[in-house]
Amino acid sequence: MSNSGEIWVIGEQRRGKLEEVSLELLSKGTALSQGVGVTLSSVLLGDEVEEVARELVFHGAEKVYLLEDARLRYYQSEAYTSLLAGVIKEHKPQIILIGATEIGKELAPKVAAKLGTGLTAHCIDLYVGEVDAAPHLIHVVPGWGGNLVMHIICPQKRPQVVTVKPGVLPKPVRDENKKGKIIRVKPDVRDQDFSRIETVGVVEEPPKGKALESADVVVCGGWGMNALGDFSKVQELADILGGAVAGTRPAMDKGWVDEARMIGQSGKTVSPGLFVSLGASGAMHYTTGFMGSKVVLAVDQNPQAPIFQMADIGVVGDLCEVLPCLIEELKKDRGG
Amino acid sequence: MELEILVCIKQVPHPDHFSEIRLDVSSGRIIREGVPAIINPLDRNALEEGLRVKEKFPGRVTVISMGPPQAQKALEEALAMGADRGILLCDMAFAGADTLATANTLFYAIRKLGKFDLIYCGNETMDSGTAQVGPQLAELLDIPQVSGVQEVTFGDEKILEVKRALEHGYMKVRVKLPALLCVTRDINRPRLPTVQSIMEVAQKEMIIWKAKDIGAPPESIGLKGSPTCAAGVYEHKTGRRREIMQGSIEEKVQRTVARLKELGAI
Amino acid sequence: MVSQHSGLTNVAQWGRLYVRNDEAGKALSPIEMVNPGYYILFKNVESCGCLSKGHLQNKLTEVKMDLNLSREHEMLRDMVKEFADNELAPRALELDNKGEFFWEQVKRSGQLGLMGVINSKEYGGTAMGHLARMILIEEISRVYPPLGFFHQTGNLLMYAIETFGSDEQKKKYLPALCKGEKVSALALTEATGGSDPANMQTEATLEGDDYVVNGRKSWISAVDPADFVGFVARTGDKFSAFIVEKGTPGFEVTRREETIGLRSLPVNEFALTNCRLPKENLIGEEGRGLASALTTIATIGRTGAAGVGLGIARGCYEIALKFAKERVLYGKPIAALQAIQFMLTDMNVEIEAAKWLCYSTAWQLDQGKTSRDLAVDIARCKLYAVDVANRCAYKAVDIMGAYGLSPEYRVIGLLRDALELGVAAGSQEVMKITIGATITR
Repeated sequence: MSNSGEIWVIGEQRRGKLEEVSLELLSKGTALSQGVGVTLSSVLLGDEVEEVARELVFHGAEKVYLLEDARLRYYQSEAYTSLLAGVIKEHKPQIILIGATEIGKELAPKVAAKLGTGLTAHCIDLYVGEVDAAPHLIHVVPGWGGNLVMHIICPQKRPQVVTVKPGVLPKPVRDENKKGKIIRVKPDVRDQDFSRIETVGVVEEPPKGKALESADVVVCGGWGMNALGDFSKVQELADILGGAVAGTRPAMDKGWVDEARMIGQSGKTVSPGLFVSLGASGAMHYTTGFMGSKVVLAVDQNPQAPIFQMADIGVVGDLCEVLPCLIEELKKDRGG
Repeated sequence: MELEILVCIKQVPHPDHFSEIRLDVSSGRIIREGVPAIINPLDRNALEEGLRVKEKFPGRVTVISMGPPQAQKALEEALAMGADRGILLCDMAFAGADTLATANTLFYAIRKLGKFDLIYCGNETMDSGTAQVGPQLAELLDIPQVSGVQEVTFGDEKILEVKRALEHGYMKVRVKLPALLCVTRDINRPRLPTVQSIMEVAQKEMIIWKAKDIGAPPESIGLKGSPTCAAGVYEHKTGRRREIMQGSIEEKVQRTVARLKELGAI
Repeated sequence: MVSQHSGLTNVAQWGRLYVRNDEAGKALSPIEMVNPGYYILFKNVESCGCLSKGHLQNKLTEVKMDLNLSREHEMLRDMVKEFADNELAPRALELDNKGEFFWEQVKRSGQLGLMGVINSKEYGGTAMGHLARMILIEEISRVYPPLGFFHQTGNLLMYAIETFGSDEQKKKYLPALCKGEKVSALALTEATGGSDPANMQTEATLEGDDYVVNGRKSWISAVDPADFVGFVARTGDKFSAFIVEKGTPGFEVTRREETIGLRSLPVNEFALTNCRLPKENLIGEEGRGLASALTTIATIGRTGAAGVGLGIARGCYEIALKFAKERVLYGKPIAALQAIQFMLTDMNVEIEAAKWLCYSTAWQLDQGKTSRDLAVDIARCKLYAVDVANRCAYKAVDIMGAYGLSPEYRVIGLLRDALELGVAAGSQEVMKITIGATITR
């Protein structure tokens, strides 16, 4: 940690729309930069994305380095990597935050390796703390076994790079009155950056069913749903609550949910207003997927299941009895 | 065209035994010894893809793994699936590596192997799940790389058309060999070894290299070569209310709904 | 020191006893002597008067009992386990309910190289041996016994042709059988009794270059789907073994028996009515057929049935154990209750014992010992493994209460399948006769 060197959030835009995670990172970025006393900046690559750069300012970026070129319209692996490495080498930020989207998960390690620096993936928190009597940025990641987390630091190499999954950090408030500088950097886009690898198209497929990331209620079924044979009651409960359906890894392996709806360390992270866990015992790599939820309701037949440590409200009982009863009670409550 | 295909694999703890895993507090690494292990599932998809390429064109599949001595078993399983030779990078000097140091170790080993056309990796491991080693290795080797690969089509002149996953949809990427591809589970269904292929394992080459064999400078590998390091393991304070509802099923459910309303959750 | 203890002559029977050099002269207590884990090295042979000198060396020799499976056997087990869990388990109940022969699974088994493990590579086999076969049958039967049992019966003719058949026969029949593209059966039993084969009535009479066969065989597994059926018939006052191919005039499958277990494996009766078979269809020498068939049944049938028993026992144990750990009564899993632990313990001990009986027998077959040398071992492992399978299945049903009786939870199906093992490859009583007669000779 030093008091020179900016904190950067790499903004990710697709088709002129900013990824939510970039905004979430700005809230953490603001907290960190104020604490350390340095500038919070953002970097944005794309084509005709000045509007997007302004959004970054409205969400807390004091500066935005804007690199625009027609050839950068879509994510281009080599071009983006070398351009980012270039601006980083020039401006020497000390900390870089990148969203762990499908693209971010590839871009972050390429940039970090190009710069020979440290990268920590999937942080669930970041703050400045003391290690061996010196201030360090602590990268908090889920640990193994029970309720443990690990603290990681990058003591020497700079910049230190961290990624955070979408849905982990809160979104900052948008304020159009916020002022920030948009610095246009003319990107040196070379033919050779496209000779070995080039993105030639993007196809978007809207998700089937209610989107997980934006749902205010998520109903997640686990291995215990075996007792009922299928996921129909999970869907029914989700429908009544106006929520999205999700599953644990065992549920995905069983074919009840797609990989896109799997909650957990290697799957999705959600922070809805209400998270309902049905028949999942509560292993750490599952629970990190919903840690940020406001209220957690857990139902399981085993009173010793670790999930009850991670819940606000716990119901011990046979899913075959509890679920239909819960659905009925909610119908009564809603329908009258 | 005769293709030289490399597949990087990692041995990870068996998911049924995840609860037995302990962290080494000083280095922050998983203590693997004694816990039953498997080939990382996505690495099997990577190997399957490599084997299919070898079957389509003439080629040779080499599997590489950095790990403790027990990782040799994972390489043997890969040979049983059909890989032609296995290389285990095993040395105390490699231990304690973060992803960059791991990528460096693989880099020096691959440099020693010589010319290659295609490298396959699994997109991420089941234990650490960072998805970083593949992209970092490609960067060190200075070759193009794609993550999240769902489908690969071979064009002419060593150019691949790759379908790469996005959250809602996919990207089409054109890549020139030599390249590194990180695959997802969508790409294929890994084959089972057959009795014949199991019995052929004994005839295949298994090489074990240490740091000095691959010429890896000490400051680029292992704990010394890791820019990131662990600074402790802590209990995570969840701050959850942990209220267990009491009574009959009906009573518990009624109390649950009432409490959820009080908390503003519904 | 040693000669002070009178129990020492019993110790000598264990074969190896050593005294650590620094402990020579230390008095051994009877407990130390009977504890099999206590190895002591004698400083010099002369100091132990009553021990058989042939058993001792004056330095530590190799302890030659490596109970580890080879790397290849471990890999085989892992592969078959994955095949069974991913491809067989999801369909086991459905296939059992359908009650039809499982061609798809047999072909897959052939694809993986499992059908021909005791056949030579020259004819499409993989020659991995009897221990490999025991392991693969065990892993399959843990999840879907009919396929495991089919390895037992389907391998019979494959072994008979490999061991007693002509080169032409091997080339003609074995490759497709090893690939699982064709299947076979072996028929000994008739209405006169499978346990009394010497009284069989089916007769083959030589007419020119053909044998004309008349008779009826009953209770034979998988004749209906079989492409090739081996059988034994009287030729004069001796017995000979033949192959009849499906579609041969005079060969007709007359009945399918309803069975309580192994429901997807047909059990058939077939009739041979003036069935003409060329001399080429004789397996081995005329007059040696019964001996060949009995050797085949002992080497392949009994070991196979033992493997199925092992698999069923372990399958029931694993399901019951998992259930006991998850089923909560009185606020905790029932696995915490002594009654349940005692039942699981009984299963655990018996399965382990059955395993070593079976594996050591199979291993000895791989070392080249004949089924004659191993008559007692083979009978013993079949006898025990099948009894253990039945006991474990019953206990599993017990442990699981009402769930134990529900087909969805599998153990009741495994119990039904276990019931079929008693009469397979020679009844349990025939096993006892084999052992009893031999040990009292």
